[in-house]
Amino acid sequence: MSDKSKWRVHHPAAEMYAREHKQGQLSRREFLARATSLGIGATAAYGLIGLHAPAVRADGHGKMKGGTIRVQMSVRELKDTRTYDWSELGNETRGNLEYLVEYNNDGSFRPMLLDSWQINDDATVYTLNVRKGVKWDNGDPLTAQHIAFNIERWCEKDAEGNSMAGRMGTLIDESTQRVKAGVIKVMDDYTLMLELPDPDISLIAGFSDYPAAIVHPSYNPSDTMNAIGTGPYKLVQLDVGVKAVLERKPNHDWWGTAVYGGPHLDRIEYIDYGTEPSGWLAAFESEEIDMVHESVGEFIDVFDGLDLKKSEIVTMGTIVIRPNQLAEVEGRRPYADKRVRQALQMAVDNSVLLELGYGNRGSVAENHHIGPIHPEYAPLPKQVVDKKKAMELMQEAGMAGFEHEIMSIDDDWRRNTTDAAAAQLREAGFKVKRTVLPGSTFWNDWTKYPFSSTNWNGRPLGVQIWALAYRSGEAWNEFGWSNAEFDSLLKDALSIADADKRREIAAKGEALIQDEGVTIQPYWRSLYRHTTDKVVDAPMHVSFEHHHYKWGVTS
Amino acid sequence: MISFILRRLGVMALTAACLTFVVFFLTNLSPLLTNLAKTQADMRMSDAQVERWLGNRGYDRNIFVKYGEWVGVVPGYVIEGADGVIRARCQMPGQAIEDIAKYCGVLQGYWGRSTRFQEGVGDIIQTRLGLTGILMFWVMIVMVPAALILGVLAGMRESSKLDRSLSTFAIGTTATPEYVSGVILIALFASTATGLKWFKGTATSAMENPTFENFFLPVITIALYGTGYIARMTRASMAEVMTTQYIRTARLKGVAFHSIVIGHALRNALIAPFTVIMLQFPWLLNGVVIVEKIFNYKGVGWALVEAASNNDIELLLGISVVGVVLVLLTQLISDIGYVYLNPRISVS
Amino acid sequence: MEPLSWIEIIGRILVQLAPVWISLAVIFACSIRFKRRLGLYGRIFDSRIGMIGFGIVMFWTLTGFFSSAFDMIATHDPLAQFSGMKNKLPGTPLNNAEAGEYAYFLLGGDNLARDVFSRVIHGSGVVVLIAPLATVFAFLAGITLGLPAGYYGRRLDTGISFVANLILAFPVILLFYLLVNPGIRQTGVPQYMSMFLFAFPIVFAAVLIQSRYHTDPVKRNLLMFSSLAILGYAYINVINTPGTAISFLNAIDIFDPDPGILNVFVSVVFVNAPTVFRIVRGLVMDIKTRDYVAAAQTRGEGSWYIMLWEILPNARGPLIVDFCLRIGYTTILLGTLGFFGLGLSPEDPNWGATINDGRKLISIYPHPALPPAISLLSLVLGLNLLADGLREESLKD
Repeated sequence: MSDKSKWRVHHPAAEMYAREHKQGQLSRREFLARATSLGIGATAAYGLIGLHAPAVRADGHGKMKGGTIRVQMSVRELKDTRTYDWSELGNETRGNLEYLVEYNNDGSFRPMLLDSWQINDDATVYTLNVRKGVKWDNGDPLTAQHIAFNIERWCEKDAEGNSMAGRMGTLIDESTQRVKAGVIKVMDDYTLMLELPDPDISLIAGFSDYPAAIVHPSYNPSDTMNAIGTGPYKLVQLDVGVKAVLERKPNHDWWGTAVYGGPHLDRIEYIDYGTEPSGWLAAFESEEIDMVHESVGEFIDVFDGLDLKKSEIVTMGTIVIRPNQLAEVEGRRPYADKRVRQALQMAVDNSVLLELGYGNRGSVAENHHIGPIHPEYAPLPKQVVDKKKAMELMQEAGMAGFEHEIMSIDDDWRRNTTDAAAAQLREAGFKVKRTVLPGSTFWNDWTKYPFSSTNWNGRPLGVQIWALAYRSGEAWNEFGWSNAEFDSLLKDALSIADADKRREIAAKGEALIQDEGVTIQPYWRSLYRHTTDKVVDAPMHVSFEHHHYKWGVTS
Repeated sequence: MISFILRRLGVMALTAACLTFVVFFLTNLSPLLTNLAKTQADMRMSDAQVERWLGNRGYDRNIFVKYGEWVGVVPGYVIEGADGVIRARCQMPGQAIEDIAKYCGVLQGYWGRSTRFQEGVGDIIQTRLGLTGILMFWVMIVMVPAALILGVLAGMRESSKLDRSLSTFAIGTTATPEYVSGVILIALFASTATGLKWFKGTATSAMENPTFENFFLPVITIALYGTGYIARMTRASMAEVMTTQYIRTARLKGVAFHSIVIGHALRNALIAPFTVIMLQFPWLLNGVVIVEKIFNYKGVGWALVEAASNNDIELLLGISVVGVVLVLLTQLISDIGYVYLNPRISVS
Repeated sequence: MEPLSWIEIIGRILVQLAPVWISLAVIFACSIRFKRRLGLYGRIFDSRIGMIGFGIVMFWTLTGFFSSAFDMIATHDPLAQFSGMKNKLPGTPLNNAEAGEYAYFLLGGDNLARDVFSRVIHGSGVVVLIAPLATVFAFLAGITLGLPAGYYGRRLDTGISFVANLILAFPVILLFYLLVNPGIRQTGVPQYMSMFLFAFPIVFAAVLIQSRYHTDPVKRNLLMFSSLAILGYAYINVINTPGTAISFLNAIDIFDPDPGILNVFVSVVFVNAPTVFRIVRGLVMDIKTRDYVAAAQTRGEGSWYIMLWEILPNARGPLIVDFCLRIGYTTILLGTLGFFGLGLSPEDPNWGATINDGRKLISIYPHPALPPAISLLSLVLGLNLLADGLREESLKD
């Protein structure tokens, strides 16, 4: 058990998870994700299952004080933090604008600007304890009022492109498009209560997402670069598409030095080497960078051949190759027929897609978008690939002569996977045409294409994705699927905090998605990053975050 | 002569006006505006949100009004958006809404603001054109003399061994796309695959400090591709000239071969390649795109791709104006050059 | 099974190409036998360089013909993917070949486990068909406008040059992005452009016939009517597609070209026509000062007769060279268009796109990119040698 008093009161569910873990029902990573999102510190969570938390590397060990790391990353133009739509944007400002909590690769949530949090049994009351001693770089201390200001800002649903509103859904009053009256209660300078009208199990996960950067009340959204922040670094240069530079703030006393150690580096340079990995290779060979944001495709092998360090992380990120049931092609709806969709699914061997599309760097998935890392994952009987039967189904539906046009974005793995799927369908005897659209135009109609592929990043809970994309009428429901039975199953699942009970319902949902042939969802991706030998503690992150304060270079 | 040049300048302004309007019209087609809204605000925005975003920024108004604003003959918009924020075209960063100018367009010297780069279009073009200019300059220094020498040597004795081998070389270089030669050059001379590492496979550092090491490969990649073409045109033209009556006469008179080539043939043989070389400038502006991309050199070609793919309207308009000036200037030079090279043609 | 050695690979490729060798031998034997009776074509066989060039060009033409018309030569389907063959080296045997399936990837597998050899072979069909045709369109447009501009000069020149400059200065990359945008396609912009560009061959044919045969109305009317009927019918078929912005003549519309191919044509003509125009215009301005033009004018010949039958033939040297080089550029442009996600279907085996795909990994797997690159090089080389031969022989008069 932890020695800190605030962790003494454990959430009842956390103790139940600990039992499950000991009985082997829950992997360590799942346990950590769930326990820490309930407000248990990582050390305490390890303690609950009788382990010691992995020792945090002693400050400065193996790391030089100071130094520079040059990173290949696409440098994008900044905008209002709550509208961020790329993890790169978060990385550009993360050194300055910090987050309430930090999601880590082991699945745990580390308190950052929050010192700790408690959630009541049915996940309707959140108590947030703001960290004391945090200073903005203009000298103001961080208070609970500032956090309340930020949460209110996230809840402004009518603000353009505000994607935090989606994550704060339970806090928002639909009629005013603002936070509901009485939800946020500032108890004192360092305590905040959120009283939700409905249970919400995903709020803490939402706090860790990249649009949830904490800004000062004087924040001007059109000048994010010079925003007042709490972090140890300042963004001193930003040439969109070219270069961004973070430098250590000279006269700023960062709160984290005392808590987590660091920061070690004086300077971080982001250099944009374009979208082609061959350019990143040239940059490594010319010794112009020390690290890439993400190593992709065949270049993972190429980089392995150079003297570089590799880090790897398994994720629940994936791709779906889906027909849209509402889309009309030449006056009819080819994919409204369940048999057509089942035939498409039956003709495609997911393991071949993983091999040809993603170089076997991941694990095969089961066409229902919930995977082994999600707490509610329920294994189902293996689906059978049967090209002959697929063709029979297609003939039965009277669609054997129909030409399927499959769209994809023009990039390495998404395009290759879709090409491989097209070849699989051709092998079954279907007529298939491929269309590739550049990234700039692809997203214009991504939910409406009759048959196309889309990448989805991983989320901590499986039902989160179902709620986003598989529920009837959702804006991101690219499948054009509406099914009352599924909707009610999902509604039940979303109100159950206990993963075991949720799993029973999830199993039904999984089977339903498979049976309806909603989508081909072939595999779960692993992510990779290469760095030079001198870079220390900058591994790949499960959601592409850069935690600058941990980074260092060898002395 | 002065009226001739003045007339050309008038044509230039007219061309620029027409071209920018065409570009303006195309980039304001509704699918592209949707594209703009989505790349600017949120890739996965709904249609209603897109419309509101466009309305808040005045994109949904009449195209002539919008074009007039860009030119600077219509007052810039001031719109109170559906979200309660007041936006104005003429509001510069850090300026209060009360003291903004009424007009802000090209006529007032304001080229607009890039939505992609969040920077003034004038500044972007200045920086990027400068970078491409340096690249072009070195390409021309390498390419033009090499191509002319190749072409003249090949064309002066047509179908000789020298001609065949030089021609084959010229065709070979020009039949290899830049996206192949560039990558092969990198693989050969800048990677651990061969271990040579004589040069750098990226020209990113050349943007701040061009050196032989980081600039050689991009320059030679473009030059190789362009050399073959000019050399072939020079050769054809040279071969043509060498068969003409006056050259035959000169040879019969016993004039030495090299003085025939230099004294008589060269001047006439250079007319056709001269046009071609002048045509290479506009070609370079578009043609550098691939090399800039491969070597990650951020010049105007790169800016153009970024602008086109993000439908950055005002930046595209700015680059179009640069294109017009470049095309017409090279044409002017090539027309004046004609007169100089061929006295039988007159300017008017 | 053991992988094949290089000698076996070359041997097997030569065997696969047997239909091409036989046809080549027949063509050469017949042509050399009857070369005196075959006019300019026959004279190619008097020049060694012309013969080599003709041989290479015919090699690829026949390969393209046999592979796309009869499905010969290639060993596999160019789009089929074979598990376990990703990026495999030349001569690798298939994992478990079924009966009747060719057991080897002669030139290895590409990044999507497709047979490189079959893709190169099938790619030749696309290249020898589309690239020259698209280039011809660009030339017809450039010549039709360049001749009068250079010959008449003044207002006409100013007017046409104005438009040409407009196109030259137009940011081509923006055009690519426009053509590929599904929303823009619905507005019909690419179709209106092709409507304009494809009109040039008709105009050119009409002017050509009129200027030559206007003294002989019967022959003129006959030729004019028949050629306009054929071209006009093809024109309507190409631009009219049911369900799009231009669909008013569905009754006589029997075939619709793939929108990707239409895009390629539009881009190629758009990119090349202004350049051809300026070259033609420059050449005409130069040639019209020559004595034989003055002589024709004194004879009282019509302007178009002089342009088409006096000036144009004398400008053929640079134009033939430019044409042959431009076919190569067009092939390369197919790849460049692929660079922007435009053009033919993304899986299409045309050389430009294959090279562009293969180059990304060229430093570790050179075998998918090099065969199409070498093929392209050899075709362009062949075209140029042929052009040289033709020009030299035709200048011998």
